Amino acid sequence: MRLGIVRGHLTLTPAVESYRGRTLVVLEPVTMENLRAKNGKGGGKALIALDELGAAKGQMVAFTEGREAANPFWPSQVPVDAYCSLIVDSIDVGQ
Amino acid sequence: MFLARIEGTVVATAKHPTLAGCRFLVAQRLEADGSAAAEPIAVADWLGAVRGATVLVSTDGDIAREKLGNTTPARMVVVGIVDPVQPPVSAAGETA
Repeated sequence: MRLGIVRGHLTLTPAVESYRGRTLVVLEPVTMENLRAKNGKGGGKALIALDELGAAKGQMVAFTEGREAANPFWPSQVPVDAYCSLIVDSIDVGQ
Repeated sequence: MFLARIEGTVVATAKHPTLAGCRFLVAQRLEADGSAAAEPIAVADWLGAVRGATVLVSTDGDIAREKLGNTTPARMVVVGIVDPVQPPVSAAGETA
């Protein structure tokens, strides 16, 4: 999983049937430099992820990419390749 | 699979239900020359890796699915901790 900061939410009209009622977030991945600096900045290339945890704007999440991102919907098949797995409370990376 | 250096720990209350009780560490992927990638990753760990350790990370989610169930989104897992480099030993069996 990579770490990303929620920059906003996305609504789709229309969208594929399996996306009905689901939430999409805009994520900005965080670099190690910004993580250590705790400056609220990201630094990576933005991407969209599916979120079922209710992450708010500004919160940091860890997101899964690839085939595993669709695992939570098993055995149904949902075209997801990025999924918010957890909302970060805190990260201890020392100095 | 790739090598990564453990940099710290992740604390998270809100998470996918299959991840309850799972230990997550922040790691940085290592290049061949030992330099670290710019973006950190969060990896699941069952082996007890500590900060500063070099670990082997697998991006295959099958291990996580076996442990956490078919619906888990966990993917990157620590599959081994690399032995620290040993100091050279002299002929007498003492470390140099």
